[in-house]
Amino acid sequence: MEAFNNLMYGFGIALEPMNIAYVFFGVFAGTIIGMLPGLGPISALALMIPITFAMEPSSGLILMAGVYYGAIFGGSTSSILLNAPGVAGTVATSFDGYPLAKQGMAGKALAIAAYSSFIGGTVSIIFLMLVAPLLGKVAVSFGPAEYFALMVLGLTAVVSLSDKSLVKGLIAAVVGVMISIIGIDLQTGTERYTFGAAHLLDGIDFLVVALGIFALAEVFYMLLRGGGGKEQPRNAIGSLKLSGRECRDIAAPIGRSSILGFFTGVLPGAGATIGSFLGYSMEKRLAKDGDTFGKGNIKGVAAPEAANNAACTGSFVPLLTLGVPGSGTTAVLLGALLVMGVTPGPAMIESRPDVFWGVIASMYIGNIFLLVLNLPLIPLIAKILDMPRPLLLALILIFCMIGVYGMSFSVFDLLLLLGFGLLGLGMRLFGFPAAPLILALILGAIMEESMRRALQISGGDWMIFIDKPISMWLLIIAALSLVLPMVKKAIAGARARA
Amino acid sequence: MTRLNVNQVLALCLALVAVGYLAMAWQIPDFPLPRPVDSDLFPKVLGFTLLGLSLLLFLEKPKAQDIPDELDPNEQAQPLLLRPWSRVVVTSLAIVVYALLLAPIGFVVASTTLSFGLAWYYGYRRHGVNMAVSLGVVLALYLTMTKVMDVYLPTGILPL
Amino acid sequence: MTAKLTRLSFLALPLAATMAFGAATTVHADDWQPTSSVEFIAPANPGGGWDTLVRTSSRVIQEEGLAERNFAAINTPGGGGAVAWAQIARDAGNPHKIFATSPPIILVPLAGTSRYDHTDFTPIARLITDYSIVLVPADSEYESLNDLMEAMAANTSLSVGGGSAPGSMDHISIAGLASAAGLNAADVNYIPFSGGGEAMTNLMGGHVEAVITGAGEAAGQLGEGSDIRALGVSAPERLGGALADIPTYLEQDIDYTFDIWRGVMGTPDMPEEAVAYYENLFAEMLETDGWADARDQLGWLDAYQTSEEFGDFLDAQKEQFSEVLSELGLLGD
Repeated sequence: MEAFNNLMYGFGIALEPMNIAYVFFGVFAGTIIGMLPGLGPISALALMIPITFAMEPSSGLILMAGVYYGAIFGGSTSSILLNAPGVAGTVATSFDGYPLAKQGMAGKALAIAAYSSFIGGTVSIIFLMLVAPLLGKVAVSFGPAEYFALMVLGLTAVVSLSDKSLVKGLIAAVVGVMISIIGIDLQTGTERYTFGAAHLLDGIDFLVVALGIFALAEVFYMLLRGGGGKEQPRNAIGSLKLSGRECRDIAAPIGRSSILGFFTGVLPGAGATIGSFLGYSMEKRLAKDGDTFGKGNIKGVAAPEAANNAACTGSFVPLLTLGVPGSGTTAVLLGALLVMGVTPGPAMIESRPDVFWGVIASMYIGNIFLLVLNLPLIPLIAKILDMPRPLLLALILIFCMIGVYGMSFSVFDLLLLLGFGLLGLGMRLFGFPAAPLILALILGAIMEESMRRALQISGGDWMIFIDKPISMWLLIIAALSLVLPMVKKAIAGARARA
Repeated sequence: MTRLNVNQVLALCLALVAVGYLAMAWQIPDFPLPRPVDSDLFPKVLGFTLLGLSLLLFLEKPKAQDIPDELDPNEQAQPLLLRPWSRVVVTSLAIVVYALLLAPIGFVVASTTLSFGLAWYYGYRRHGVNMAVSLGVVLALYLTMTKVMDVYLPTGILPL
Repeated sequence: MTAKLTRLSFLALPLAATMAFGAATTVHADDWQPTSSVEFIAPANPGGGWDTLVRTSSRVIQEEGLAERNFAAINTPGGGGAVAWAQIARDAGNPHKIFATSPPIILVPLAGTSRYDHTDFTPIARLITDYSIVLVPADSEYESLNDLMEAMAANTSLSVGGGSAPGSMDHISIAGLASAAGLNAADVNYIPFSGGGEAMTNLMGGHVEAVITGAGEAAGQLGEGSDIRALGVSAPERLGGALADIPTYLEQDIDYTFDIWRGVMGTPDMPEEAVAYYENLFAEMLETDGWADARDQLGWLDAYQTSEEFGDFLDAQKEQFSEVLSELGLLGD
């Protein structure tokens, strides 16, 4: 019952009137920041450091954590409504969320996103509370070899994500890795495919590619297919209600993805984006109706949304128990904590229980706020789709442009965005799936980096990937996930012939 | 000579890209210190994979989803500037102009003009509403970013 | 409008500061004042070291009312600084544009990814510094820096992680250390991670055998019950606070120090009066309580140098870095 007492102690802190106000303000600001493409939680938090400078550390972290998970919560809105992911962690949500919205079920998609986010968030807070101190060890057990294996496993999802034509899916994936390679190679400091442009030295930001290939390409596509003012109005929102059957359908995916997402978040460097992709592809493979993923399957919204919120909470494990940041966002949080005079680390649970338990308790409250705040807003926000088509298209465009510019302050990135928009349009017209490209873009770079890092440590001995048990098992699972469906197919084919 | 199908044309284009990519991969300099896997290995593998995949694509028969849908003939009959492909080209050009003018004329003016102008061009005729929405959205974003978040955006010709 | 009045009343101060510092500058500091707001550029995204320096000093300057004009923090990320440098280099003579700087202004051009280096800009002042620290797991067999160096000499595949690419700060720091300890700099098996935090996580998990990173970043990790232990810092003298117990390299008979300094530079050919103005402004800023608070919390150490001293220091740094890089075989031509 110690956890319970600690939690009560935490609630004592989180329920102080000022702290409730901070949680509320944090999740509210986070939701808005999340909805705006480009302006992600990292910059938002970095820019908030001066505000939290003079605060009590527990209040400061409560506020900033609220912004972080609030942004992941809110990011799904623009993914679903506009196909323009608000934050990197919600890219996978647009795969099925946007088709649902186009079919007049925006309300349902947003409601599922809200419920799944809430459950994913809450489940992972329980995990965080119960096992955080033990998980520090798990987090550090992943070295370069293990990351390489995890990325290989993630990349096998390309096969299931490219349902129409495997060849085209694989081509998209190869192009995705090619994009991820652009820039200075961290392992050697060598420039690769930068064409001498200083703007490309740091590589291409993931959100520029995602906004181009999804949102801008969608605008272009609509322009091609009669973007004029003649579009008849449609029932854009639909009901928010879920049938009992739908609830049962998404229950298991939410549960699985919450747990998967949490553990992905615990691993430093993995985080919400990879968590949501892993959740999505896992559910697509497990589902009996996996072939309808990408066309508006509610499980395809529930899984990544549960996973990304769970991963967001999970990423607090390495931060709070080890004092090492697992992601760009938690790195900024770490900086903020140091400024406030708190040193996160193994000793923090003992030395600053107010911060540790206060934040955990505030997350429960924050998640409830988010649900209560977002559900009534859904019909209102979804009204965006009722806007006249020409105005909506112009606004989506300007949204993407402002988002990209506000993220990098670079005119060059605006032109890149346009380039990826046109690439996305081409892919769309000729039947190349976009999801494998995005997946490979995220995972490919980490895969190369960790593979080379592992080999550098082992002195070029490839056995390092087999000698490490976690890495070996992940590779075996990856191989099985490729081979098993083929075997199944072959058996089914043989039976059909017999 | 038999006409190439869509996939074959695409495959040839991709093969060209792959060859160019590979040519550049060979120009990546060796790292002076010993590395088990140097910077050029991944690009080379990727280049050859793309080459192989384009061969497979060349052999794959195009299915319905591989061929772009026909555009609406009514739309095609419109004046040149309003035809579907013109809309994509004009929008792209507008984005380029926006990118180039952003710093000199400032964020607020450039963004509002782009949003207002495009909505007009796409056929929205209620100019008052258009102006109000465009300016409102841009100003709201601008003020949030500059005043609340303390991010610098180019002010240009306005003394904002 | 009271804010404006108080700011005006500080106009007399620069003179006092000049005298207090008695530095090389004898130019009358109040000859020149900014006539518009000053663009203070962080050549990186919000959240990094340069950004923190820019935002903290802008805030202190404003809160303490040190300047009449506003200091606008502007982020120009890209190319590890190269994008911002290229922009600033085009703005020769502009007295209203300054930027935060640190060793990459020397290392990035040496690596060949920026056409501009420190000689293209006007040094204004060095402000603060941090030092490198060598870490091993708590249960490591290496008790001193010399143990580690001996082991590295015997086994050239012994992995040392760091938070940046080969040829940049952490690598130069450890390679220079190895060289000073009599090893071949190129024999250090340096494993680059994407940040000091990631390197330390890998150290805790036992994936690498040692790590080199910034002392400020590591400070929070050390102490009772920690999984990692420090073998030495690159400072000339012992540091304070949580790092007081850690011996310097010099104490362990390795004649080597390494600074991770940060300072401010201006546009090419910035007018002398403007340089003098900023030089004094920053000198004054370092004396305020607001700065002292922020500095202590961020784990920075004051290391002020005037424009001239800073310029000489930069030249010396370039020489030191070039030496290590050429020993590593990494010096481009």
